[in-house]
Amino acid sequence: MSRQAVSDPVEAPRRRRTAPFVSLAIALVVAVLFIVLANGKASKPDVTSSFLLNRPAPAAISTTLDGKPFDLSRRKGSWVVLNFFQSTCLPCKAEHPELVAFAAQQASIADGAELYTVIKDDPDSAVAKWFAEHGGSWPIVKDDDGAIATAFGVAQVPETWIIDPSGVVVSRIATTITADFLSTKLDQFRRVYG
Amino acid sequence: MSRALKRWPSWVVLVLVVGGLLAVGATRDSAPRTPQERVEDISRRLACPICDGESVFESRNADSQAIRIEIARQVDTGSVSDDQIINFIEQRFGSKVLLVPRATGIDALVWALPVAALVCAIVGLGFAFHRWKTTADTVPDDDDRRLVAAALAEDTDL
Repeated sequence: MSRQAVSDPVEAPRRRRTAPFVSLAIALVVAVLFIVLANGKASKPDVTSSFLLNRPAPAAISTTLDGKPFDLSRRKGSWVVLNFFQSTCLPCKAEHPELVAFAAQQASIADGAELYTVIKDDPDSAVAKWFAEHGGSWPIVKDDDGAIATAFGVAQVPETWIIDPSGVVVSRIATTITADFLSTKLDQFRRVYG
Repeated sequence: MSRALKRWPSWVVLVLVVGGLLAVGATRDSAPRTPQERVEDISRRLACPICDGESVFESRNADSQAIRIEIARQVDTGSVSDDQIINFIEQRFGSKVLLVPRATGIDALVWALPVAALVCAIVGLGFAFHRWKTTADTVPDDDDRRLVAAALAEDTDL
């Protein structure tokens, strides 16, 4: 029919002009999204960063396995190392001999750090049994309601935190450590913070 | 009264109704009334830090339980808002625990893209309607008139 003849000469060129621009716009948006997402931070967990770094350590009040009171804020004046531990966690078990060695290293120097194990979601009896069998005479802090772990943002173990004598968090290590690594790190901090 | 004038009141009513509903939805007081409701509401907005696809509210593991206790403790103080509590947990466990994306940074794309898509769709529909209207208003030519005349003549013959 002739209506087609009337409309086609007007409509056809308009379609040809619009489609490439729409396609180009969509392609540009997709390209920008791709670039932004490709350059984004990887989802790999960061084992050293924390909101708490260089901030006062959160409150941590509890008791030790042998019934003594524990208050982190009263440990000011000493370097404190907190190690979050679970007796069913294989990396924690693998790390334990290093902690025993680290405790011995620190005991041999004048201003050695105080080491504390914080129980992470584990029965007291299981942790006590582990320490009895594998050594380690430093205090073991109970955390029955998970308040200390939540305050530090600890979800998986092992994690080790270093707190300076003024009560400020200076390091978080969310992986296994060795005695030498931890002692060297503490020496560096002592030189920097005095 | 022109056709355009006859049409506009329905559009105005539609815009007013939609605008009114959006305003009510955006400003209504949705704060839970009891501390327990606040704890549940906040824990529904946080993901369990060690499990997949579960909120702190749903999860039964020790970490989620500890977070719920911390939320309850902060709610009991009565001096912190829901957002402040969520911010506290996010600072310690990272942004992975946020079930509702923030409206800043790259997370804002989650909110902005659907709106952009909606605007594009409406504009596209507008163009399509306009094109159909232009096509429909095509002036009949002599062939069309002959066809109509022939049809009318057939009707008359009947």
